[in-house]
Amino acid sequence: MQALKLIVTALACAALVPLASAQQPTVRIGVVQPLTGPVAYDGNIYVNTVKMLVDDMNAKGGVLGRKIELVIEDGACNPAQSVNAAEKLVVRDKVVGLLGAFCSTSTAAMMEVAKKYKIPHITGISTAAQLTEQGNPYFFRAVATTPMLGNSFGGELPALVKGKRFAFLTLNDDWGRSMVASYPASLQKAGGEVVAQEFFQQSDLQFLSQITKIKAANPDAIILAANTQQAAALSKQIRELGVTVPLIGEGSWTSDSYIKLAGPSAEGVIGLVEYVYTIKNPINDAFVKEFQAKLKDNPSKFAGAAHNAISIMVDAIRRAGSADPEKIREALEKTDYNGLVGNIRFTDKHQAYGQTVYAAQVKNGVPQVVKTATIAKP
Amino acid sequence: MQLAILGQHLLNGVLIGCAYALIAMGLTMIFGVMNIANFAHGEFYMLGGFLAFYLVSLVGLNYFAALPTAVLLVVALAVVLQHSIFRRLRDAPTMTTTLVTIGLSILLENTALLLWGPQPQSIPTPFPAKPLSFAGIYTTPLYLFSMAVTAALILIGHLVIRRTRMGKAMRATFQNKEASALVGIRIDRIYMLTFIFGAALAAAAGAVLGGFIPVEPTMGGVITLKAFVVVILGGMGSFVGAIVGGLLLGLAEALGAGYLSSGWKDAIGFFAVILVLLFRPEGLFKRA
Repeated sequence: MQALKLIVTALACAALVPLASAQQPTVRIGVVQPLTGPVAYDGNIYVNTVKMLVDDMNAKGGVLGRKIELVIEDGACNPAQSVNAAEKLVVRDKVVGLLGAFCSTSTAAMMEVAKKYKIPHITGISTAAQLTEQGNPYFFRAVATTPMLGNSFGGELPALVKGKRFAFLTLNDDWGRSMVASYPASLQKAGGEVVAQEFFQQSDLQFLSQITKIKAANPDAIILAANTQQAAALSKQIRELGVTVPLIGEGSWTSDSYIKLAGPSAEGVIGLVEYVYTIKNPINDAFVKEFQAKLKDNPSKFAGAAHNAISIMVDAIRRAGSADPEKIREALEKTDYNGLVGNIRFTDKHQAYGQTVYAAQVKNGVPQVVKTATIAKP
Repeated sequence: MQLAILGQHLLNGVLIGCAYALIAMGLTMIFGVMNIANFAHGEFYMLGGFLAFYLVSLVGLNYFAALPTAVLLVVALAVVLQHSIFRRLRDAPTMTTTLVTIGLSILLENTALLLWGPQPQSIPTPFPAKPLSFAGIYTTPLYLFSMAVTAALILIGHLVIRRTRMGKAMRATFQNKEASALVGIRIDRIYMLTFIFGAALAAAAGAVLGGFIPVEPTMGGVITLKAFVVVILGGMGSFVGAIVGGLLLGLAEALGAGYLSSGWKDAIGFFAVILVLLFRPEGLFKRA
């Protein structure tokens, strides 16, 4: 009896071994996004989009004949937590590429991990200019920076809102500060002037003091930087304090969740965005259709960012012909990707250019494109 | 114009200050009577807001019925927490109870995140959104309503503590636990009432403010910190201190952000705490 058991066990083991080796290892991509904390809502949209797209890619055979496996970690928009998450993804999960983080400050911290372990890293969201000025060879940015958006649209704003006096009310972080530093140049060239600059913290949900102070400066329009939750609270409170001037925002100002949450106060808001779901092209039509079917919503700009980031990463792995991080990095440098928002290539500093950016105005709850621009090679 | 702006800053300060005061009152009571630094206090505020949102928009309850119902549900939770956790820790050292409340705060926040997801919500209110203006100072019916409710609750809380038998028993327990037990005050009951009282005030603040400040699972953390600022300013365990401290913090933030720099708004309160701890550690309103 004992001998029989031994033989059965041995046979079973022998049968298992070839099975295990026939199983191709997956290509692991690490994602760090805020799943908790102040921008958790937008971070979750990004993660759900990446999951949806990777499922599609795997259904079509994955990449290099192997399945793509996502390893997702919560960075909470907190630099320390994002660094820990990235370290874990690289050291323990052995990912070959990194996507993330969300907030510029967290991305700045996370890209040092990518450099240390020589793992290619793409952000699709963080727009603070200095990220790509550091010459980090492993870091790529698949989105226009705040100064690039400012250069594209700053000169148009005085005509768009028919006014000259602009006030800034932005998040007090790398993103908001870089907006306040970069927009005024092109605004002033077009005859505009800056009459107030106010900031709020990531954790703030009431902005009455800042709004009152801006009101005292009597602007013709307010330029804001905020994501869904703060954007909704801002536009509501601005209107509640009797300020009726046009609002122009970078961030979630054209997403459905913002429009729903802000209610009537979202009407007329102009968002300067990298993606809006009402644009017309075949890739976007298919994307919106699938997104609505599977995630029951219209894709926000974070879904668009996720689409760009994961597509560019997988495209590079395919062209590299290998899951070796160094080869992927080299392939990323040669990116010439045609996607959701047009053609994307990278400069020597790994900054994306060539894509279209949009100024979209909320009309009857739907963001309509009122102006487009193409990001020129800097 | 300048006067209207000043008036607007003062009004903003009082609106937010009343909410700070309401939340800090409960925190200071729980600290004074039960000797617990309740780091989960902001979570009661968050739960009040979330439950009010769900009662109004999902259950379809009338707004004015949903607010007290949300508070009652939080009270029920407070009864369970007090009965199952804090009653057992009555004689535990402060460090133990502090760690328990920190754990509880993480537990409640993540439970809310699991149940309701991370998306922010706004409680639909029956008030018209159109702002009202008096001499260039703007407000909305909802702002006036929340100011009235928070101010009324502060007054009621004050009267309960000062004028009722229960309040007297709470104050006695605060002064000397053993002596109160000796004269026949049921300490367990006083603890329960104090905890409920604190949780209810915080939940009421969350439910009322949720009309114009979006509610989301992680909103409690900052509120807990702000409430601690108020409690330290006013003196740990000082009831009047919490009320005056709350209003002071609201006004200091509004005026500081308005006339100094909005980037420093949150720093003002914490800076004040450092100064108070250095020069008047017993708090501004507590007789040492």
